[in-house]
Amino acid sequence: MIWVAWRQHRLQLLTGALLLMLTGAFLLATGPGIFSAFRNTGLAHCLALRTSDCGDLADAFLNRYGSLQFVVALFLVLPALGGLFWGAPLIAREVEQGTHGLAWTQGVTRGRWFGAKLALLGASAAAGAAILTWGLSWWSRPLVAAGDQRFTPGIFDIRGIVPIAYALFAVALGVAAGALIRRTVAAMAVAFAGFGAVRLAVDLWLRRHYMAPRVISSTFFGPSPRSGSGDWVLSTKTVDAAGRLLGAGRGIDLNLVAPRCPALQPGSGQFPGKDVILGCLQRVGARVVSVYQPGNRYWAFQWIETGIFVLLAAGLIAVSFWWVRRRVS
Amino acid sequence: MSAALVATGLGKRYRRRWALRECSLEIPEGRVAALVGPNGAGKTTLLHLATGLLEPTAGSVRVLGAVPGKDPALLPKFGFVAQDVPLYRNFTVADMLAFGRGMNARWDDALARERLDRLGIPLDDRVGHLSGGQRAQVALALALAKRPQMLLLDEPLASLDPLARRDFLRVLMEGVAEDGATAVLSSHLISDLERVCDYLILLSSARTQVAGDIEQLLSVHRVLTGPRRDVDRIAGVVEVVQESHTERQTTLLVRTDGPILDPAWEVHEVGLEDLVLAYLGQPSASALPEPRLAPIRKEVSR
Repeated sequence: MIWVAWRQHRLQLLTGALLLMLTGAFLLATGPGIFSAFRNTGLAHCLALRTSDCGDLADAFLNRYGSLQFVVALFLVLPALGGLFWGAPLIAREVEQGTHGLAWTQGVTRGRWFGAKLALLGASAAAGAAILTWGLSWWSRPLVAAGDQRFTPGIFDIRGIVPIAYALFAVALGVAAGALIRRTVAAMAVAFAGFGAVRLAVDLWLRRHYMAPRVISSTFFGPSPRSGSGDWVLSTKTVDAAGRLLGAGRGIDLNLVAPRCPALQPGSGQFPGKDVILGCLQRVGARVVSVYQPGNRYWAFQWIETGIFVLLAAGLIAVSFWWVRRRVS
Repeated sequence: MSAALVATGLGKRYRRRWALRECSLEIPEGRVAALVGPNGAGKTTLLHLATGLLEPTAGSVRVLGAVPGKDPALLPKFGFVAQDVPLYRNFTVADMLAFGRGMNARWDDALARERLDRLGIPLDDRVGHLSGGQRAQVALALALAKRPQMLLLDEPLASLDPLARRDFLRVLMEGVAEDGATAVLSSHLISDLERVCDYLILLSSARTQVAGDIEQLLSVHRVLTGPRRDVDRIAGVVEVVQESHTERQTTLLVRTDGPILDPAWEVHEVGLEDLVLAYLGQPSASALPEPRLAPIRKEVSR
């Protein structure tokens, strides 16, 4: 049974393995350079101290290697490709070519046939994603540390354990789309769009609500109290002592500040000096309020998100399974 | 003698259209049955219902005593060759055999290899590169390697040239003879199957029109010719299936229940092909085994 599944899907599986090897080669080729630069510039040492401001060092480092971040986009897309090329044809191509009539009239039940195919492709997708993620987590450690971005959407999604769940979800979505639509190409399109939509919805909207965020308020002056903590900052605004808005982010909007500081009244025709502004901000008690998810929740979030996508995948598989057994052509 | 396939009030509807309707028939064990009817008559639907690839909308079908699609124990007992013989085109012939081995607990690999070898089909050729006749032979070899008690073949000869047809039927008959299997072959041409079949099912416009042993069917049908006249009752005739007139002569194809003694008619035996054509031309006529088909029980299909 497994042999049959392997024989049928070996081209897809071998292509996936080749892609994995190419990626691995790329990571191995570029990784050591990144690590040595991380150490030699003193950035690794600086970040380890946790007390000093490593901003300039980090910026220089990220400027040098930031261009490599293009691979991030690639890794965001890879699981979706699994869904396209592994999941969608699993049933759809059989139906298109009429071979399901051959497979479903052999000695084994449809359920076992489907189970064998799914087990092979699902396990391969999970294993491939695990290897890839492990390599990528290693490779990207200096970059992520320099940017303090472990928790940031886009980075969170390609490290840890969530990519494995994404891969399973993508394959399951492809399989379900293929079973319901019965056209490989259409199923691929639907799986791709669906995967993108769900991932975006989770990234932009759902993930921040896994746990109630915390709010922290700090003085406008001096470094951010959370730098280096790995927090995921959801929103930042600058307010005065009474909580009135002075500006979005860590900054001020002169139009909002001016009414509270006569010295800043416009009309003098020239831009107010830095000292005047700082004095004003000190007087109104400017502070920065951030809503954030603390960095120590990283693994909790990884597990929650993994759970969500594994459950989605399981649901889709259940639908496909039912469809294969009940709905017949 | 028990029935290998029993359909009772069997029907399949696609949205509004009935592909098969009120189909009741029995195919006795050990027969080679021709399932004949024009395109769109429901032959494929009937076969797919019998394999469990489709579920009936109405009525029920039993194959070897089991309900197709519900009883997994039936799967190893029948072989099916679908229309256009779908195979995995990028598999080699050997791969297809390995597919059969992997998908079947009961599998006679030696038999299949020997058969393909005798036909000169190389095992390491890709299925996609085989001729239509060779592909059909591979599909048949796969079906026969299950050592099935029942073979269901949907238009197996449609794309084959006459030589390939002869070879295909020869291999099929050997296989059937070896295992004493029942076979159902569909075709829109009876002439394809006349040499090998001993049972006829005629489907037209989604209904069973004729079902029965071919010899018996031939024995109760006669062609009558005589001077032109209007036809009224003739002793021994149950039903006039077809009547045609020329200026001077009237020809009837009739179903009889006794000898025709009326001296006005010249009585001839009828050929199978003429019989089939006569019925197809007259959809309201039918020749079905009499009430032996038990009253249609309403079976809950789920």
